[in-house]
Amino acid sequence: MIEQTSSVRMKGVGDSLWVTVLPDSPVERIQEDLAKLFDPLRHMAHATRVVLDTGTPDSDDRYRQIHTYLKNTYQLKEIVAPKEKAKHEEKRFKMKNSDNTIAKHSRDTLVLAGRVRSGQSVSARKHLIIMGDVNPGCDLTAGGDILVLGSLLGTAAAGQPNNDEAIILALDFRPLQVKIGNVVAAGLPAKGQGMTEFAHLEDGAIVVESYLSANPFKRMPWPVVR
Amino acid sequence: MNGKIIVISSGKGGVGKTTATASIGAALAMEGKKVAVVDMDIGLRNLDVVMGLENRIVFNIVDVARSKCKLTQAAIKSRRIDNLFLIPASQSDNKDALTPQDMIRISKKMRTEFDFILMDCPAGIERGFENAVAAADEAVIVCTPEVSSVRDADRVIGLLYAKEIPSKLLINRIVPAMVERGDMLSHQDVVDVLSIDLVGLVEVDDQVVVATNSGTPLIMQNDSRAGQAFKRIAMRLNGQPDLPIEIPSTSKSLWKKIGSKIGFGK
Repeated sequence: MIEQTSSVRMKGVGDSLWVTVLPDSPVERIQEDLAKLFDPLRHMAHATRVVLDTGTPDSDDRYRQIHTYLKNTYQLKEIVAPKEKAKHEEKRFKMKNSDNTIAKHSRDTLVLAGRVRSGQSVSARKHLIIMGDVNPGCDLTAGGDILVLGSLLGTAAAGQPNNDEAIILALDFRPLQVKIGNVVAAGLPAKGQGMTEFAHLEDGAIVVESYLSANPFKRMPWPVVR
Repeated sequence: MNGKIIVISSGKGGVGKTTATASIGAALAMEGKKVAVVDMDIGLRNLDVVMGLENRIVFNIVDVARSKCKLTQAAIKSRRIDNLFLIPASQSDNKDALTPQDMIRISKKMRTEFDFILMDCPAGIERGFENAVAAADEAVIVCTPEVSSVRDADRVIGLLYAKEIPSKLLINRIVPAMVERGDMLSHQDVVDVLSIDLVGLVEVDDQVVVATNSGTPLIMQNDSRAGQAFKRIAMRLNGQPDLPIEIPSTSKSLWKKIGSKIGFGK
């Protein structure tokens, strides 16, 4: 049996509950999921302000159906549509604080999605996983492994300061330079698409091999934490 | 009036920011918009030369910042195109003569006077860049199909993102024959690295040198393919974002030739 995820998400924002509704769910299912969330809150409904975010304007039929259901079922203090400005503000805040957010989460394994641009430095205390491309002119640093699910065209330093077991892996492995522990190797200029390769230390030198044919973890009988 | 401020930037020097600013500004003005092009390259001004207005400069943007004159006194009207004004840079100061706060203050005034304000950003990412982008609503990143230019454009896009300024990409000086031979990055290679929306592709064109040296608007030369490309870029910036982007190529198809003769395919 597949468990369905809820069509409704709720989080506290300021003095309101921000209710986000999945855009493609049927209204009946949304009503069921709303009931699950709001039934336990009946005793404090009169003091609750709800921001209803259906992804559509408040003139939309779907918005009105859900709004009417909430209004008639629970005696809430107020139900309003999110202000465009608030959404815009949230986006601006995210843009402005993107670097701070990354720094805050880099305590352990850091997973990022998107493009890392020239001039950016990303460092993780342990492992670093980038789902996206890493442009030339940026620096990645990690205490453990660096995995790039995309093109690695920048500089990557894994196993900092002295973890010789670390690897650097990319689906399209074309780095300018790699460093593992204290050993540095210059990347070779590659034309076009690179290969899925990984760099690791062997007898004090950096070796780059195809990940699929020389997978270093193939022979491990069971998984261990890295 | 609530004008839009667009900064034309690149990071790297010599990629065609000033030509792009003058050409897009002229094209927007010919579409009936009131346009100011602002030279932010304090100490190394040349937008005035490109526009053939160097002998008309009385006041400049530093004078405006220091309240020596009004904005309207510093704005020089183009000789050939109505609605196009140049606000020149000072040649005797350096970049520290202005602060970002000065620019925010001047920009408020500029928005009330013009529909579009195009800021010709100096090369680099120091004070000149900071001044030019201080009040910008959006940016056009000029980039040539060379790795050094792409690297710098990438850096600038990141800096603008942190300042919440959305960027569009203009690829300049494309040599179609070299792209077809595989000796030059294709526009797709550049977009793959920079991953921002394209606003236009401009091919290399000898007419640019002629227009720049004579101070005449490039877009007024109908046989200039670069000029026509800048015209289309101006249209995309002026409410037609979905105007198809033409990819420069060496061979023009028969239909394209016929189309351009009767006024299509521009």
